[in-house]
Amino acid sequence: MLSYGNLIDSSINEKIIALHKALAAKPFPGFIESVPAYASLAVFYDAIFIRYNQPNIKTAFEVVKKYIIELVAEISETAANKAAKIISIPVYYNGADLEYVATINQLTIEEVIKIHTSVNYRVFMTGFLPGFAYMGTVDEKIITPRKETPRLHVAAGSVGIAGAQTGIYPIDSPGGWQIIGKTALSIFDKNKPDPCLLKAGDEVQFFSINKNEFEKENEH
Amino acid sequence: MSIKIIKPGICSTIQDLGRTGFRSLGIGPGGAMDFFAAAVANYLVGNIEKQPVIEIHFPAAEILFQSNTLISISGGDFDAHINETSIEINQPCFIQAGDVLSFKKNISGVRIYLAINGGMEAENWLGSASTNIKVKAGGFKGRLLQKEDTIKIHSVTVEKDNRKIAVSSNAIHSVYNNQNTILCIAGPDWHLINASSENIFLTSAFTITNQSDRMGYRMAGESLSVKKTTELISSPVVFGIIQLLPNGQLIILMADHQTTGGYPRIATVIAADLPKLAQLPVNAKINFKLVSPGEAEERLISLHKTLTEIQAGCQNFYDKY
Repeated sequence: MLSYGNLIDSSINEKIIALHKALAAKPFPGFIESVPAYASLAVFYDAIFIRYNQPNIKTAFEVVKKYIIELVAEISETAANKAAKIISIPVYYNGADLEYVATINQLTIEEVIKIHTSVNYRVFMTGFLPGFAYMGTVDEKIITPRKETPRLHVAAGSVGIAGAQTGIYPIDSPGGWQIIGKTALSIFDKNKPDPCLLKAGDEVQFFSINKNEFEKENEH
Repeated sequence: MSIKIIKPGICSTIQDLGRTGFRSLGIGPGGAMDFFAAAVANYLVGNIEKQPVIEIHFPAAEILFQSNTLISISGGDFDAHINETSIEINQPCFIQAGDVLSFKKNISGVRIYLAINGGMEAENWLGSASTNIKVKAGGFKGRLLQKEDTIKIHSVTVEKDNRKIAVSSNAIHSVYNNQNTILCIAGPDWHLINASSENIFLTSAFTITNQSDRMGYRMAGESLSVKKTTELISSPVVFGIIQLLPNGQLIILMADHQTTGGYPRIATVIAADLPKLAQLPVNAKINFKLVSPGEAEERLISLHKTLTEIQAGCQNFYDKY
């Protein structure tokens, strides 16, 4: 586990994702996978494999740690980050909590929609559910805390806000985010070899569609 | 060739050793809670360790075999019977078409693994047959087994053989010994808890509550607290991580855990102790003991050696065919 502290920050998250990608491109023998979060990266490895391959080492942990420290140094030298993939997501803003988000922030519904669609969001990480992307950061004018009592059922495609984060429920699930709208776009499809639409490091642009457009999209 | 579920039991699923490579997408590993027993059960019928097995809890499933095959049961002991005759666990058992496997009582452990020679047909999702109930994928239609489900099996023709495999029961028991002590390494957020909580964690007993399942074990015990309350941003979590909940109680994440979490991760159960933990029942009391990452590795290697010895014993047996 590598951690850069307890902060939601794009530049820290960029470093984490750069390391995540660098490990995938240049894995060490025994590497299994890595998991990026806001400011930390978990690295999974096969300790038995590493120990049997290098009988003279003390612990696999030390070997992996050394490899990662060297890789971190290498990345910061060649920092040039590739441009993020931008994904456009149509949203029909009619969520059950849209009015609440507007009211507690002293805005009109139209203003909430305008603000939510006004910036591109960074996918900091995925977690909680398969393909659930934690995106941010939400304009402070529409920041809204989670619901005190989570809903037992939130439908797949629901777009929500939790604090300064925004996200889309990939599958039906219980959940406590404030639901402001819905997308007909498939966020998670278990039948695809690559089942998740959004990945850490991507950029998301929401745009508002009306009921007719949403229903048309939903037919496909 | 197939088997048919007569009674499903409370929570029977097809599992293997889990799904890796997709945690970064929020897709957890799942897999057998007691991965040691799942591997042993497979070796005992001449399979490789990754073959799908059925994970069964008590009250257990009842299963009809519609063809001859060879099975084995490892993990807990639910007093397995074929028809009305009790059978030995941790040994291969010859099955004739029409035989019924049932379990009479929960003698020890929490879950058992049924392996079938040649394996069984299961939905492979992202490289694993483990059942992911949340997204309804993998295993048998991505769900718990139900009455009347028929699962195809791939057994090669087996002849009745009354020889036994020389499996050292001591070797198997060594994995589950010292039931009350669970070893762990300090977690990424160990430093967040205060000194008296450190002391409570290391000296007092914690009880596994009935709010425990494949996702996590909720523990009951003396309340722990952090030095100062801070909202943590989400970070990766793993099978075995011990989180401190806002109410001061602990939860240990198990095989079906989420991939990230926002509670302080105060410690992580070492991999070699996860099979033992997976077999501890509700109301069991455990003490946590901290060890170094180096010792955690040594114990994992020793577990692997035990498994390799069992595998060699089984291979020796099946080579004679």
